[in-house]
Amino acid sequence: MDKKTVIVAVLGSQLDQGRGDGRWARWRPTVAICQHEDMIVDRLELAVQAEYTELAEIVVDDIRAVSPETEIRVHVLEQEDPWDFEEVYAGFHEWSATMDLDPGRDDVLVSITTGTHVAQICLFLLTESRHLPGRLLQCSPPRKRVPNALGELSIIDLDLSRYDRIASRFVREQEQGLEFLKSGIQTKSDSFNNLIERIEQVAVRSRDPMLLTGPTGAGKSQLARRVYELKIARHQIAGKFVEINCATIRGDAAMSALFGHVSGAFTGAARDRAGLLRAADGGVLFLDEIGELGLDEQAMLLRAIEEKRFLPVGSDNEEASDFQLIAGTNLDLNLAVRCGEFREDLLARINLWTFRLLSLAERREDIEPNVDYELDQFARRTGRRLSFNREARDHFLQFAARRSSTWNGNFRDLNAAIVRMGTLASGGRVGATEVREEITRLRDSWSGGQPVAGDTVAVLATVLSAEEIDELDRFDRSQLADVIRVCQANGSLSAAGRELFSVSRLRKRSSNDADRLRKYLARFGLDWSRVHPAGP
Amino acid sequence: MNDAALPDEEIGEPDEPLVIDGSSGEGGGQILRSSLALSLVTGKPFRIERIRSKRSRPGLLRQHLTAVRAATEIGLATVTGDSLGSTELSFAPTTIEPGDYHFSIGTAGSTTLVLQTILPPLLRAGKPSRVVIEGGTHNASAPPFEFISKSFLPVLRQMGVTIEATLVRPGFYPAGGGRIEVTLEPLEELRPIRLVDRGEIVNKRVRAVISQLSPNIGHREVDLLKRQFSLPRSAVGVEVVESTGPGNVAFIELECEHVTEVFTGFGMVGKPAESVAREALRGARRYLKSSAPVGEYLTDQLLIPFAMAGSGEYMATTVSPHTETNIDVIQRFLDVEIEVDRAGQHGNRFTFRRSNSEETS
Repeated sequence: MDKKTVIVAVLGSQLDQGRGDGRWARWRPTVAICQHEDMIVDRLELAVQAEYTELAEIVVDDIRAVSPETEIRVHVLEQEDPWDFEEVYAGFHEWSATMDLDPGRDDVLVSITTGTHVAQICLFLLTESRHLPGRLLQCSPPRKRVPNALGELSIIDLDLSRYDRIASRFVREQEQGLEFLKSGIQTKSDSFNNLIERIEQVAVRSRDPMLLTGPTGAGKSQLARRVYELKIARHQIAGKFVEINCATIRGDAAMSALFGHVSGAFTGAARDRAGLLRAADGGVLFLDEIGELGLDEQAMLLRAIEEKRFLPVGSDNEEASDFQLIAGTNLDLNLAVRCGEFREDLLARINLWTFRLLSLAERREDIEPNVDYELDQFARRTGRRLSFNREARDHFLQFAARRSSTWNGNFRDLNAAIVRMGTLASGGRVGATEVREEITRLRDSWSGGQPVAGDTVAVLATVLSAEEIDELDRFDRSQLADVIRVCQANGSLSAAGRELFSVSRLRKRSSNDADRLRKYLARFGLDWSRVHPAGP
Repeated sequence: MNDAALPDEEIGEPDEPLVIDGSSGEGGGQILRSSLALSLVTGKPFRIERIRSKRSRPGLLRQHLTAVRAATEIGLATVTGDSLGSTELSFAPTTIEPGDYHFSIGTAGSTTLVLQTILPPLLRAGKPSRVVIEGGTHNASAPPFEFISKSFLPVLRQMGVTIEATLVRPGFYPAGGGRIEVTLEPLEELRPIRLVDRGEIVNKRVRAVISQLSPNIGHREVDLLKRQFSLPRSAVGVEVVESTGPGNVAFIELECEHVTEVFTGFGMVGKPAESVAREALRGARRYLKSSAPVGEYLTDQLLIPFAMAGSGEYMATTVSPHTETNIDVIQRFLDVEIEVDRAGQHGNRFTFRRSNSEETS
């Protein structure tokens, strides 16, 4: 079934004018719309100002004559002042509700050729906001000297993605945005590229908080900065990029650093301090390691996000700041919520757009382009051009791609490796020796690599379910986490026992460390096979 | 539903639809109208493809849809693809329903083109019909009402048809608002005739019709034509008519012993009265150069009635590409051979013969 063509139009007190016989020789847009050979108007919704009802009768009669197919509904607008935007908009808004338009059944075309400019603006806005679910119809007058001509009709779809030339512009702009977010690195990992595509869409369209998760060194901080720079480039924000790692501002200093203080708020508060939230007004605030933020600060932050207001330490006057929050974390914040370490409502607020950045080991195909990027960065920083000799480069890339290369520090490791090799290389050329030495250094750093202390919950989560962790006292949590860590680093129950009881066992004549450990684990319903990663 | 409404050929098992190419020649609209008329007459369904595919705005236009809708109503037909811009249309009639019809088509479609579509089937409808069509009656791209009433219908009457057509009110482009009324009696078979000689010209008349414009325009037109044909005052007339909008046409009517031809000039904004008159004059002069009775437009109009009659013959002044495509379409639907002999001194001879179906069986 074809859709019905419904025209929404305002009677033009000038353009649709014409009372005498001569009117048929004039171009009257609203009449002409109904005369075209390639369009049948099934319904015309015509708004008429009260003072022009007489003209409306002529126009309606003429349309009936030329287009008997058209049902005409006249809506008389009771307007005091047709130039008053608010009044006109309200009138049209009410009118639009009476039309019973169904985009599934009706092809709605909103004529913006007739009516005052205020009327045209209101019709545009109603169409753009989908109160009038259709497209705009633009009528242009006939070219001169063509008698009785109907002029041209052109339909303007406000869904810009439907226009090839505009769409290709958007694609180009989007590609530039993607390039930008990737710092110009030609990444090959599909999952990473998809992620960046999503982030670009959200970055361009939304001012809501964003949460970047992923292991340390995966590039959260750099990505947050690129998101900010993209928004600046698109003129979406004008403020500053303010960045802080929450792990570095624990304790009393955290409140004041984030929200500022007034002089005399506490000992040492000699002068007012604006705080980071104020500094980020109109810009982006990147809170890395947000899981490390204390509960009090979390509560203040939540309010600052939701109401854009907060209270500096010691002040009675609220401060305002409108910033976009980007949070980073390498913790599972859901788990932290269950453990009471993170506010559920804050997580809900920042969890709207969550993006997990992949570790370097998960996107090994991107190592090579990142090596090139790091070489460029090195050159930019030091002013010295740096390159590998062919063999050395191949060797390093082969090593980097190996499964055994765990890249625990992710891109931070890669960056450090290039900086070290570049610094040691003579004549700006990295050779086989530098690479061999660097491989040894990296291996050493990874073999000692254990999960970072402080990730108690993360360690527990490798063995226990979230519910089981919830059952644990805080007292037990850190001890159990450390025990699990040792178990996971050792090959057998006995070896783990020896390490765990290495001090007390010296005082005993005979010891059964393995048994002690087994019993300890059993208290939590655990055994070796569950704790040890190599277990069945 | 009326049982007397079945066409002569019984509609047997559903036929495979005829497939018509709608892109050929200039006659996209004409091919469609002929196909609709003949499908109703024969009961054969058809599918027309690539409708006006070579045009800048391909597919069906509004004026074509008015014809489709009228044909659908008359034939209680099943139709698909009857929408604006559609390049393919299927049409399957179930009957021909005589009766009282009223079509309101605005200015987009011409009343005479709609009449052309539904007239042939209504001649076979078993019972009389009355048709009122409202819209444009005088439009440069369609035969004007006077041509239908004075030139075309008299030939039909020679073929045995009882038909009356009245122009209740003219409708000019763009305002429209015209109205024509047609009453007709059906008949079993059209009587085959020969129309090879126009005979003597017995009467020449010149007339201008004016609506909502200065009558002076009409006087200028008939003055020019009167001088050209050295006519007496009694043979010319200016008629001021009531219509929705302004309009003007000038006619030359050549009444011959065996046929009457009408030539028209259409008024337009910015077109001087003398140009309107000369337009009609050019048509008449072309006709007078030849001795054939049937002029360019009548040639096309007579194709279907003669083909329905199964045999007959006429001499035509012109064979247009339009005519040739029309002949092709007609021969798809009807078992008739239409031969055009262009060699004759006195015009082009159109001969109609029933195809000998026994030869092929």
